[in-house]
Amino acid sequence: MSDDWLTGPILEQLSSGVLVVDEEFQLVYLNTFLQRHSSVQLTEAKGKSLFKVFADLPEAWLRRKFASVLELQSPSFSSWEQRQYVIKLPHLRPVTSSSQYMAQNCTMLPLNNPSGRRHVCMLIEDATDAFVYQQHLQTTLQKLEQSNRVDGLTQALNRRYWEEQLKLEVQRAQRYQQPLSLLLFDLDKFKQLNDQYGHLGGDSVLIELTARVRGLLRDTDWFGRYGGEEFGIVLTNTALAGAMEVAERICLAVSSKAVTFNEHSIQSSISVGVAQLDAAGERAHEVLIGQADMALYNAKREGRNRVVSYSAGETEFQLKTN
Amino acid sequence: MSTVFSEEQRDCLQELINVAMGLASDKLARFLNTFVHIQVPAIELVNSAQIPAQFEAQYSSAEAALVSQGFLGNDGLRGEAIVLYQLENAHRIAALLGYDTDNASELEMLTDISSILTTTFLNGLAEQIDNSLSYSAPRVLSSRHNNMTEALIETACHWELALRVDISYQLIHHSFNCDMLLLIPGEAVLNIQQILDRIVEEY
Repeated sequence: MSDDWLTGPILEQLSSGVLVVDEEFQLVYLNTFLQRHSSVQLTEAKGKSLFKVFADLPEAWLRRKFASVLELQSPSFSSWEQRQYVIKLPHLRPVTSSSQYMAQNCTMLPLNNPSGRRHVCMLIEDATDAFVYQQHLQTTLQKLEQSNRVDGLTQALNRRYWEEQLKLEVQRAQRYQQPLSLLLFDLDKFKQLNDQYGHLGGDSVLIELTARVRGLLRDTDWFGRYGGEEFGIVLTNTALAGAMEVAERICLAVSSKAVTFNEHSIQSSISVGVAQLDAAGERAHEVLIGQADMALYNAKREGRNRVVSYSAGETEFQLKTN
Repeated sequence: MSTVFSEEQRDCLQELINVAMGLASDKLARFLNTFVHIQVPAIELVNSAQIPAQFEAQYSSAEAALVSQGFLGNDGLRGEAIVLYQLENAHRIAALLGYDTDNASELEMLTDISSILTTTFLNGLAEQIDNSLSYSAPRVLSSRHNNMTEALIETACHWELALRVDISYQLIHHSFNCDMLLLIPGEAVLNIQQILDRIVEEY
């Protein structure tokens, strides 16, 4: 063919792999790109079985693909999104990718040699860039999802996500008839603290307090920032007595040790309201919050730095007095 | 730009499609080692804006797959082939193709099935008009996780004309029904009309 002087060199310079096998899957051709990446020399590999030359190929899968190309005389495809690579090849971006192998898009085409014998030509395109972008995208989406759930300052869950979890846990507790308790606590005299040490001082107390509290919780508890200096903890599978114990420990953990901020030693304390789920129905989680809030209010009224549980029969009215 | 086919053009196209389908079924039968019977496909030229509504009813009840593959030939022949079928159906044909039906390979299975159906059929069509086609890799536009109608609306709006081909493959123990849509841009429609006119004249 008169274009041989073009096609030959271009085939050798192509930055895609080109591989040809005959009907018995014996190697007929490998272009330079593939020879260099795989360290296989065409002169040595020619005429040998493809599956002997590249020992870790997905043989059954590839045989099926090639068979369909030969039989139907129509192309077949493989995408990196479904199968990251067909031939294990190193890629040239050692730092940017978490995968050590080149991601590949492959096209398998029917091809007849001049004497009419059927062959399969496989084109292998390097899709590592797309693979890397995809991974970045996924990490970013995960981070985004995380930041969507978490309060930026304290790293406790944000109110929206925490309330969602509370609602789900309440439903679960109702379904499986397990106890569930809620702690609501509030940093005492936060306004005063802010006035005295500035907002950065107040913030540092919130951060330190959150860290101490988190250290006392189980993985199954949900700890969220409910408002400015108000936090909530959902204690799954925990009855009131157990919840009171946790609350006492948290209360002590905060008051027993001052927070250091700019060489100041800031003494702080919290008041905790505790309630166990006993309401039924769809609004049960709201009722529970209301009860824990009443208990919290009573803890404040009784002098702060203490734990108070909700006792049945307290009403909204008593909360509003004073 | 006229996208209306004359009666002669339409008959010619139907004939070409019938033969292409015959060729495809013959190849498939040999490949799958089973008898494949294909009904004479019904074709219909539709305004691509109407497509989503047409398919919504048909595929809304069951989980369906929508796979797209671009094709490009000589004489300005180009377009996008879309294969729609129900996932339940797909697993039957996948078993014949030797797939284990685990979830990991489901996407691969879907693209393989539709690629085989599309390329065998379109190759047969191209052969008759002395053309040859190259194809882009098949892409799953929607399967069990996302909304098929939305995907169709998004795709269909890029094209002027759609040739809807109802295909029904009857394998000896199973039946496999799918719809194939050939979405063709306006200027390619003119090119196809010219090709059809040429064939009609030659007869």
